Amino acid sequence: MDAKVSVSPTSFIDQIVVPGDVVLDLSNMTNQTIKLGSGLRQDNEAITAMRAGKLSYSKPNKYWVESSHKRYVPRPEDHVLGIVVDSKADNFWIDIKGPQIALLPVLAFEGGTRRNIPKFEVGTLVYVRVVKTNIGMNPDVSCTDASGKAAEFGRLKDGFMFETSTGLSRMLLSSPTCPVLEALGKKLSFEIAIGLNGRVWVNAAAPRTVIIVSNAIMNSESLSGTQQRIMVEKLLAKISD
Amino acid sequence: MEGRLANMWRLTVNESKFVETALQSELRIDGRGLYDYRKLTIKFGKEYGSSEVQLGQTHVMGFVTAQLVQPYKDRPNEGSLSIFTEFSPMADPSFEPGRPGESAVELGRIIDRGLRESRAVDTESLCVLAGKMVWSVRIDLHILDNGGNLVDAANIAALAALMTFRRPDCTVGGENGQEVTIHSLEEREPLPLIIHHLPIAFTFGFFNKGNIVVIDPTYVEEAVMCGRMTVTVNANGDICAIQKPGEEGVNHSVILHCLRLASSRAAATTKIIREEVEAYNREKSLQKVKRHPTLAKSEVSGPVVTVKEGHKKFSDQDKDTEMSVEHVERLKLSSDELRSSKEQEAAKFKGSPSNWDPYTEAMDVDSLKVSLASRGDSVTKSPSKKKKMNSSEDDTVEEVMEDLGDKDTTVEVITKHNDGEKTLKDAVKPK
Repeated sequence: MDAKVSVSPTSFIDQIVVPGDVVLDLSNMTNQTIKLGSGLRQDNEAITAMRAGKLSYSKPNKYWVESSHKRYVPRPEDHVLGIVVDSKADNFWIDIKGPQIALLPVLAFEGGTRRNIPKFEVGTLVYVRVVKTNIGMNPDVSCTDASGKAAEFGRLKDGFMFETSTGLSRMLLSSPTCPVLEALGKKLSFEIAIGLNGRVWVNAAAPRTVIIVSNAIMNSESLSGTQQRIMVEKLLAKISD
Repeated sequence: MEGRLANMWRLTVNESKFVETALQSELRIDGRGLYDYRKLTIKFGKEYGSSEVQLGQTHVMGFVTAQLVQPYKDRPNEGSLSIFTEFSPMADPSFEPGRPGESAVELGRIIDRGLRESRAVDTESLCVLAGKMVWSVRIDLHILDNGGNLVDAANIAALAALMTFRRPDCTVGGENGQEVTIHSLEEREPLPLIIHHLPIAFTFGFFNKGNIVVIDPTYVEEAVMCGRMTVTVNANGDICAIQKPGEEGVNHSVILHCLRLASSRAAATTKIIREEVEAYNREKSLQKVKRHPTLAKSEVSGPVVTVKEGHKKFSDQDKDTEMSVEHVERLKLSSDELRSSKEQEAAKFKGSPSNWDPYTEAMDVDSLKVSLASRGDSVTKSPSKKKKMNSSEDDTVEEVMEDLGDKDTTVEVITKHNDGEKTLKDAVKPK
């Protein structure tokens, strides 16, 4: 009990936490209004970690646990890459790497009516937005943004899709641009779609470029920013000669 | 139904199309050339006969065990070699727990064929007693992660495990030459298996109606390819087995091309395996130098066992010879003495020594001291006792044995019931 009280709030930030760690104590904090992200819960005065990962903090008062998984738990407003599993009268069944199949209503496209329902064969890759994740129901996804525009969502043609961890996909989406993408983008031109569920789609004019980019991204999983740049430079030097 | 759908891995149209278009320009999705092998790493466990092979993402563990069994009727002087595969659902969501699937059976069969029909492992040297007792070697292959090309990885795991396996030495003895004694690892150096050559499996994937051939396909490539062929060759270029599943027909010139490729690669893979095994053996032999065998213990307990044996044997016999009665009376006394001291010691400890835990039950220091003292006492006493006994004991036992010589059948029955002696049941691991 004493150990828990003596923990200072700053000590856990950017540290690895495991489930059960008391990461914050509200009783000795001046500003008691904080926002909790994923992997944290409140028990009266104590904020406990529920997942293993790095405790992150962003000003002024946001806390969350940054972790990496091979499995994805859907959350509203996440942009994910899904695979069409089956098409029914009202919905497409989409696999988004979650515990359940997601449903994509056939009308959830820009200007979607009963007349212009798209035909997706099984195995089609779609870029979708998670709309609803109610407990006990299949998550709902949509191919439009909140205002009903297509906004890059929809079917992804050609290119190559590979699966990584959710941590890597979040790293790729972070701003400022992730070093590996920045370094690759200086020399090569390619198109990329990153889903928060750990799926990444890459397309380029030449298959060679696609392979280089996808392998560079897969290799950058456990590298730091500078290591990523060095790795990409080495890779590009190797292919240029 | 829906839960199953959510947990399945599936291939997208984009992937399969891309894999094929990239292969047309001789590119593979992991940046390899068409005939490049993935990185192979072999690791060994602490025990003899365990290996862990990593081929890119694929991860396979091999484990070899042996037990004494009765040989097959048609091959009375040959040991047996059997392969069992275990596909963990952790390796791939498509693997179901329980009964082995089609792929598990096929994998086992390919490896089995490569190893057995090429006679890579010398089975005749596994014979202990012709028609009665042979070693049965069992290879267990556990698939830990499926990254494609399980056959090659599992085959290498099986070979590496077989090469590092050591079976306990055993001797045939007894009056009628039918008794088998198994020596523990401390007593005698365990023996390696005799392996004549290493049959190495190479898997080829065919794309575009058999026009494009790749070696060592990955998981994604396996899902896309139209045909597959596994060739098992050894470093000398002998073809041990060929397996060609799938419906797509392959031209015979392509098959010959694959065979040439496989035999050119076999030497390199053999070298990797041999080097790893040698490094492991070197490490093991270095460890052995430090090991202190528990010789003292076995010496002390040795005579006690024989005494008991003689005594028991005799008590079941008619007491017809006065001389041996005299001897045995004396032996009985000495053995009783030893046994009673042991019993005292045992009584002081609560529970069996294997799960004895000093922390769960508080133990008073005095009783510990006493028990330690008594143990020390018995250790110091026993050598002198043994010396005293040894001269008389050795010939008494022999005499008893001679007496029993004409009643072979009863002796055999008794020895089976004798708990002090090592029987074959001790050697056989309980399943």
